[in-house]
Amino acid sequence: MISVTALTKRYGPTTAVDGLTFTAPSGAVTGFLGPNGAGKSTTMRMIVGLERPTSGTATVDGRPYAELAAPLRTVGVMLDVRSAHPGRTAFRHLLAQARTHGIPRSRVDEVIALTGLEAVAHRRAGTFSLGMGQRLGIAGALLGDPGTLILDEPVNGLDPDGVLWVRDLVRRLAAEGRTVLLSSHLMHELALCADRVVVIGQGRLLADATVPELVDGTEGGSLEEAYLQLTAGAVQYRGGDVR
Amino acid sequence: MRALVRVLVRVPVRRTVAGHAGVTVTRVVASEWTKLAGLRAPVWVVVATVAAAAALAAVLGMFLRPGDGGSGATLVVSGHLLVQLGPLVLGVLVGAGEYGAGTATTTFTAVPRRLPVLAAQVAVTAVVALGTAAAAVAAAAWATAGVRAGSGLALDLGDGETARVLAGYVLSLTGVALLGLGLGALLRRPAAAFGAAALLLVVVDHLLATNPGRVTDTVRALLPGAGSRLLLDDAGLASLDAASLGPDLGPWGGGVVLGLWVAGLLAAAALRLRRGDVV
Repeated sequence: MISVTALTKRYGPTTAVDGLTFTAPSGAVTGFLGPNGAGKSTTMRMIVGLERPTSGTATVDGRPYAELAAPLRTVGVMLDVRSAHPGRTAFRHLLAQARTHGIPRSRVDEVIALTGLEAVAHRRAGTFSLGMGQRLGIAGALLGDPGTLILDEPVNGLDPDGVLWVRDLVRRLAAEGRTVLLSSHLMHELALCADRVVVIGQGRLLADATVPELVDGTEGGSLEEAYLQLTAGAVQYRGGDVR
Repeated sequence: MRALVRVLVRVPVRRTVAGHAGVTVTRVVASEWTKLAGLRAPVWVVVATVAAAAALAAVLGMFLRPGDGGSGATLVVSGHLLVQLGPLVLGVLVGAGEYGAGTATTTFTAVPRRLPVLAAQVAVTAVVALGTAAAAVAAAAWATAGVRAGSGLALDLGDGETARVLAGYVLSLTGVALLGLGLGALLRRPAAAFGAAALLLVVVDHLLATNPGRVTDTVRALLPGAGSRLLLDDAGLASLDAASLGPDLGPWGGGVVLGLWVAGLLAAAALRLRRGDVV
């Protein structure tokens, strides 16, 4: 379970995350939504200890991430598409990650097979397409067989086959009792794979509910409609009308 | 009873997970080695450093004239000014490379305590630089064998001065690699780290040299470039000190100055890493 309590992050005068509180329970896929710049990535980076909160706390299974003895075996993280050095092969990238925890080479081969990267495992990551980079990121997140997964835009850039694969994967992981926190802008996709959604705008919580609760309370009757109504006042970057 | 002893001597109870499944410093060192050996650039830097040390010494040896002074050892280390670029690049690559490539996210989610990563980078960089510098000495000795035989310049490792110059060369190149690592880890931008290294090692020294005096000579003696004193023989040190109004650092003092710069920069990098965000 992920617990975020009164989490705040300021960069000088800008407040990126503003007193955010929510939980992502185990055994469920929690969708994490919000317009561009709403603070989703910043929140995820604070949960895994990459950024220090200005105030508030974030814990995984009751402990701050940085205090976990074996973080990769507790939490699988995929935050950036380009998380591997372009000059290193996919296999080397995963092996370096595995070595920090004494995870055996055989597990590296396993996650490579699981994510369908066998054919390109010994190619340099700089030659990868967006979708292959996503698969490599997911492979890294699965290395330690963790009970919690934090995935930032995991289906971005995947082909339809890959989208279906991620959907099945996160459903299966949640069914096994794991915690999955997943951000996405693809509402149709989230409606299919998320049990609950946390919606934020301008760093603040806008909604924290199950998908049926959110959809039933909306006129349009879809997650997309519900999302657009919730975030109507919180969109910072909006395109103009085409004339 | 054992529990009491643990409390008394404050031995932390070793958690099973930490012993078998968790992050340890040894594992982080293995990971950093896997990362470094998995890139082409560091391999080329090592090869180029060794080749440059040999080629420069051989070329400079061709211009030796009888009565130039110097010894077999000073000829072997004579390419130092350019050769040190190799270890510098190696250190900067290790220290700053992660941030530019976006892999810092991966590294520091695996090791959220962060400082073991910097410690492992110091260990890996020091070992690779030490090996490279030793290979550079061997290559330069081989490349200058003919010239040395022709001009009667001995290279006797049993001779204290010769051994000191060669060891000093290896130590100063290793120190420069760690200086690059410290600057890279502190500034997190390869270009900024190279710029700062050029200023500290060469530019400031040359600017101050145009205006000699007690103050400027003292400042010059305390710049990290003082590490190059390590590879001067007794005559070289004597002529350098005769021309300077700064403090007399002796044969090893320059190395201590470089070591203090390395320690200071690594401490600053550790502080930034510990306190700040990984961007």
